[in-house]
Amino acid sequence: MSQNWGYVVAGYALTTGTLVAYAAWIKLRTRRLKRLLSDEGRD
Amino acid sequence: MKRIYLAATLVALAVTAFLALYVTPPRENQGFQAVRLLYLHVPCAWLAYLAFGVTALASILWLIPRTRNTTWDLLAGASAEIGVVFTALMLAVGSLWGKPTWGTWWEWDARLTTTAILFFLYLGYLALRRTGATSAERGTRCAIAALIAACDIPIVHFSVTWWQTLHQQGTVFNPNLDVKVNGSMALTLVLSVLAFTMLYGYLLIDRFQLAQLEEGREERELQLAIAERVRAEEVVPA
Repeated sequence: MSQNWGYVVAGYALTTGTLVAYAAWIKLRTRRLKRLLSDEGRD
Repeated sequence: MKRIYLAATLVALAVTAFLALYVTPPRENQGFQAVRLLYLHVPCAWLAYLAFGVTALASILWLIPRTRNTTWDLLAGASAEIGVVFTALMLAVGSLWGKPTWGTWWEWDARLTTTAILFFLYLGYLALRRTGATSAERGTRCAIAALIAACDIPIVHFSVTWWQTLHQQGTVFNPNLDVKVNGSMALTLVLSVLAFTMLYGYLLIDRFQLAQLEEGREERELQLAIAERVRAEEVVPA
């Protein structure tokens, strides 16, 4: 790829992927814990 | 409200990406097109300072008896974790820029080395948060560790002035406050910093909420374990 576009693509993909994965991990773990706590509250 | 904030953040990030990838010019002395990586690298660096600064501030508030509250401890932990993510990205994106520009992925230059130390200091801080203790003990232990780690922030920032090695001096915050960027590049840089700061705010709210839930669950597990032990002692005669 000319003029170092490959590095640019890698950098933007890495940043986007990392931030999306991190935000998704927070959401999933929050949802799981909320469910767990409400289940335990019912017991 | 939170959805509107998220939408505004995503729009700001999309506009930043458009300006960074299509509008700003390439620079011969900055790796041609690789200069576009600086619109990620600089905001990540700013967010590392901001996130670790918030951690330090929250840690101080925890250590002062009059303001001590679990909220500060949880906020410190949440912000530090986000700071670690952005520091890792800063190092990785900087490395991707360094290869075509400097001809190397990594150099033991003052800025790079002090930043790597910062990263490992806060990784250690996050590990310390997971060690077993009461929440009060953990809060104090971690607050002291956070303040020790924060001593590296000014060293990272001024490293390019104190030791003139490979990394360039600050583009905006240099000793003479001589701004070395203008036009579409300056606009994109400012917008990228704003967009990433908005993203930090969004992530911090979510991560703080998760930290509160984790804390609640930990306390509940502890209470259940105590109740079970008391019950067992009642059943089995001594």
